Amino acid sequence: MRISILNGDPDPSTAFQVYVHDFAQRLSASGHAVTTLDLREFNLKGCSGCWGCWVKTPGECAKRDDSATVCRAAITADLLLLASPLTMGFTTALLKRAADQMIPLIHPYFVVEDGEIHHRARYAKYPKLGLLLGAGGDCDAEDCEITTEMWRRMARDLKSQLVFAAVSDRSAQEVADEFARVA
Amino acid sequence: MNSLVLLNGSPRGERSNSMKMLARVAEGWVRGGGQEPEVLHLAHRIGFARAVKAFAQADTVILAMPLYTDSMPALVKSYIEALQPRTAVAEGENPALGFLVQSGFPEASHSRPLERYLQKLARRFGSLYVGTIVRGGGESLQMMPDRANEKLWKQLRTLGEQLAHDGCFGAEELRAVAGIERMSALTLALARLVVNLPIMQFYWNGMLKKNGAWELRFAAPYAPAAKL
Repeated sequence: MRISILNGDPDPSTAFQVYVHDFAQRLSASGHAVTTLDLREFNLKGCSGCWGCWVKTPGECAKRDDSATVCRAAITADLLLLASPLTMGFTTALLKRAADQMIPLIHPYFVVEDGEIHHRARYAKYPKLGLLLGAGGDCDAEDCEITTEMWRRMARDLKSQLVFAAVSDRSAQEVADEFARVA
Repeated sequence: MNSLVLLNGSPRGERSNSMKMLARVAEGWVRGGGQEPEVLHLAHRIGFARAVKAFAQADTVILAMPLYTDSMPALVKSYIEALQPRTAVAEGENPALGFLVQSGFPEASHSRPLERYLQKLARRFGSLYVGTIVRGGGESLQMMPDRANEKLWKQLRTLGEQLAHDGCFGAEELRAVAGIERMSALTLALARLVVNLPIMQFYWNGMLKKNGAWELRFAAPYAPAAKL
């Protein structure tokens, strides 16, 4: 399976950084083709709500930044794993910046899906989504639940489904074993 | 008299739908006897920095935002992260906190998980939670003249007035302003029929044509072989 990991930890010195890369290595050892994008090293200007990616340069953000690399890594993967420590009860602003700039991957036209209005697909195939949350700090089980629910909805926006969600309070091997069972 | 700070968390800044709605809440607040609120735009560097300071000084803060991928925009999450030191202050030191979430989708259901997060956020600060205004169909505010939205403006002014009088938004008024929570089976069946009609796409098609991008509207640049 082709797996793209978006690592949204802005701090290169945390235990979570080590955890994410350890986890990625275990996935590679299991035969997956893994690409890890450390988002802190990317120039992401953020979505300004201009809709240029829908009505000026369809499918591409008009900003000159690295968001195209993120979009390409996402849409060409079989599974997109979103990795982030929890800060103030949610994944980081850095990861959210990348997610906001993925709207070129969908189309502005509306469709009815899952009993709601959503945007139309732009691509024939979308990656499944996984979530790896950094434990600790001031966040609790309720924060993990709320965060997972919001990303579950984000997955629906991306014509996908959240198939895996884990917290880094277990060993990377345990989480990789669970990943192998469910993803 | 309590001080109110209105924070516009839309990346579009002053021209945003969030600001249009927030302005009506401000009108209601003043009509209810509140002093003129300070309005700050997080999209501007100076406004962002001032908003971090204002949080520590205001009696009440209302943070407005558009729904981006069914959660808060990254800009708003950056602001929330900048406020992290305020979770360590003594009980009652943080302002009363309320929110406004508007989305382009017609149903309020898209915004409810974010509402739950924001409610918890108020608890994280030890703040009094004054409620979250949830409203769908926000993008239509860009398309229609202001006078066509008079019912919504009236609802928002009422909520602002309640905030001035009661210190919180009224539950009944919050339900009313949210509009459609989820579509009924009948409405969904109708929506499936009309969603592909040209009239439903005229907003996007008009801009695509104006920008000379109509022929490229189904472009799939990152996986050309997978184009629909």
